[in-house]
Amino acid sequence: MNGEIESNQGRSSAFIVSARKRKIQKLRQKTGEATLLIIASFVAIVVLFIFYFVARDAVPYFQIRGFREFFTSIDWYPADDPPRFGALAIIYGSLMVTVGSALIAVPMGIIASICLSDILPFNVRQYVKPVIEMLAAIPSVAYGFFALVVFAPLLQNSGGPILMWTWWVIATPFLLLAVIVASELLTSTIASQSLKKPVDIAVKALFGLLALLFLYFVGTHLQGLEIMSGTNALNVSIILSFMALPTIVSVSEDALQAVGRDLREGSYALGATRAETIIKTVLPAASSGILAAVILGIMRALGETMVVWMASGNSSHVPSPWYNYLESVRTLTATIAGDMGEADQVTGSARFHVLFAMGLILLVVSFVSNLISERIVVRQRKILSGQ
Amino acid sequence: MNLGTRKLLDRSFTALGIGSIVIMGLALFVVLAPIVSKGVGALVFRETIEHRKLLFTEFHRGDARELEKERVLSNGYRQKAFDMLAVFDQELEQMPPERQEQYRESYDQTKTALRGLFGPLPGDTDPELARNRYGQTRWDKAEEKLHELLYEQKWDYSNPDVIAKPYDVSRAASFTGTSLVRLFPYVEQHLDKMLLPEWSFYWGFITDSSIDAHFFGGIWPEIQGTLFLAIGAMLFAFPLGVIAAIYFTEYARDGFLTSMLRSANSTLAGVPSIVFGLFGLAFFINTLHVSESKSVLAGSLTLAIMILPTIIRASEEAILSVPKTYKEASLGLGSTKWNTIMTVILPAALPGILTGGVISLGRAAGETAPIIFTAAVSVGTAIGLGDVLSSPTPALSWNIYNLASEHEAAAQIRHVQYGMVLALVTVVLLLNLSAVILRARISKKLKG
Repeated sequence: MNGEIESNQGRSSAFIVSARKRKIQKLRQKTGEATLLIIASFVAIVVLFIFYFVARDAVPYFQIRGFREFFTSIDWYPADDPPRFGALAIIYGSLMVTVGSALIAVPMGIIASICLSDILPFNVRQYVKPVIEMLAAIPSVAYGFFALVVFAPLLQNSGGPILMWTWWVIATPFLLLAVIVASELLTSTIASQSLKKPVDIAVKALFGLLALLFLYFVGTHLQGLEIMSGTNALNVSIILSFMALPTIVSVSEDALQAVGRDLREGSYALGATRAETIIKTVLPAASSGILAAVILGIMRALGETMVVWMASGNSSHVPSPWYNYLESVRTLTATIAGDMGEADQVTGSARFHVLFAMGLILLVVSFVSNLISERIVVRQRKILSGQ
Repeated sequence: MNLGTRKLLDRSFTALGIGSIVIMGLALFVVLAPIVSKGVGALVFRETIEHRKLLFTEFHRGDARELEKERVLSNGYRQKAFDMLAVFDQELEQMPPERQEQYRESYDQTKTALRGLFGPLPGDTDPELARNRYGQTRWDKAEEKLHELLYEQKWDYSNPDVIAKPYDVSRAASFTGTSLVRLFPYVEQHLDKMLLPEWSFYWGFITDSSIDAHFFGGIWPEIQGTLFLAIGAMLFAFPLGVIAAIYFTEYARDGFLTSMLRSANSTLAGVPSIVFGLFGLAFFINTLHVSESKSVLAGSLTLAIMILPTIIRASEEAILSVPKTYKEASLGLGSTKWNTIMTVILPAALPGILTGGVISLGRAAGETAPIIFTAAVSVGTAIGLGDVLSSPTPALSWNIYNLASEHEAAAQIRHVQYGMVLALVTVVLLLNLSAVILRARISKKLKG
């Protein structure tokens, strides 16, 4: 009996907290929390370090060669004597493939995200999501290999017909729709019922003929295009757009989901169709989130290395004319990756540091666009929750 | 606009959306189909006797007696072709010099093609490179080589407006009137008896090391290097990431510091991968001197920094998705906060955290740009576990680039490149697939 009571007392005394013990416990908690904070701030330290160390090796370049040549000249001959470090053509090449991939990825991505969030039923969505995740998961070097070994020869040997067929397949439905809508808009002003039908048919026939001619002429022009090399800006833009798509789709889908049902239902109640609801109500409400998605997607394309290194042709010149996507280009990322092997031997030379200068440009651009997209997302969240 | 048009527009809009998703699916298929179909060809193909000879001498695999029998069989057929060469040699010597000149170039090409098929010809000195020591090891390549032997490729420059087109000229025709004419149909008819092709599954492609810069052999050094780099990166990033996620979800108070840390996280996620490589070179190698030059350690550290934001984000989500009631019950029982985290929240969140970890592992395995300057070498043997601190390693991702773009005979070893891409894509997609399965399990469990 006695022993039991004692042991009970011993047990309960463990729960009684003396002032000293309490202090120790508090202290322990504080130090624990501080340790966690230090580990969590590791990320911030890394970001600072990245900026510092890239900048530390980038600044000597500008000290040696100044700013002017780098940003204004298109002559990139780092191995010549004297060397020339004009990076304008390279920066232009980066811009070109980024814009090219954005032209494909942004409309497709936004429409696909709308489809995912508003159109497809839930059980279909379950099967679509893994497809998008797989597109995102395939390593960039595998895309690069595909671009170089499969896509480039295809583009080089039968690029004209491919472009023509793509044009026909994509443009025909759009033009058909445009013809119908245009004739509808024109005939809607006619009051008399008997006149309406023949005018409608005439207008449709006229527009249809015009559209067909347009399709045909652009098609034959595309078919006649001669592609000297399959490793060009077009190839890279197409591949990059599919790498940027998953980012755009998933981020803008989140933005569309955040809009909520009440806005959509309000619009439906006013008699709008689904397309009208999405375009006139949901998209404006989600626009800032979608913009953030677009920025993130574009950054993915701009920062991509392997695909452009393998399949862009790596010739540092501004295509002529400037919008000619069928010529080879060279980008910032590919230059860094490709030239370091030779420049590495001569640490301290302008040739080594110029690559860090390019890295710094990429870093700053990605940092700024990230900040912008983050601001946008935060603001949208505030607006949506405020209403 | 009338109702019909509006309806039409609405339908077209739906079609557009579905169309763009279908295009994404098609793109995935178009990219994966050649990689899978041709990548399998690196493992399953019709191997010739040359491949069996190679396996026997280089890896000591195969049945010596069986091989000797086959060797005798094929040499019987080969000898006849070699005899024809010897006869033509004598014929050539007796010709006047200008006729010798006429045949010389084409004859040399013929011999080169024969060497490509059967290895060194009688009378050749023993070649130094392994690629010249054996004939064609794969039947599909041997058929291409046969075409090279039978036909000479010439370029048609007649029309200056279009790119020159190649066309074939029969080689036998250029030897009309000599004894060598008989060689070409003979080789064409008896090629299978000279090379004895057999369907085989070459599992050594995964476990063998490469011979003569990937001309023969497997890709084990690359696979091992990729494993070392990815697992090394996880060793650094996973604990850090999970702890940081615990801080963000359980301890961080809304304020300037927290929001700054959060935006640092998203900044890090947005940094282009090549910049990580530059940073790894400048910091880990040139400043900290973690190793003399490139090393697995430096590469792992660089990759770890790259995947850190992904791990933090995934772990945060996993921790947040643990029902609040769990935590409240634990705290209500008198447990401390730390104790609650360690014994209640983390175990419940573990599958979700693992999902994030697995996806990051795949990303670390597939990334190339960060390891170019910090860890990857193009040719190398498999390194031991003891060397990871100091020596660089070949890795799948880097060697795919290297073999496809910089190898001196990239077009001849396409099957190795496809095999490597398939290996890498398989590893990454399997990791992702297991993450998807894990996630499905969790959501089922949370639903109850």
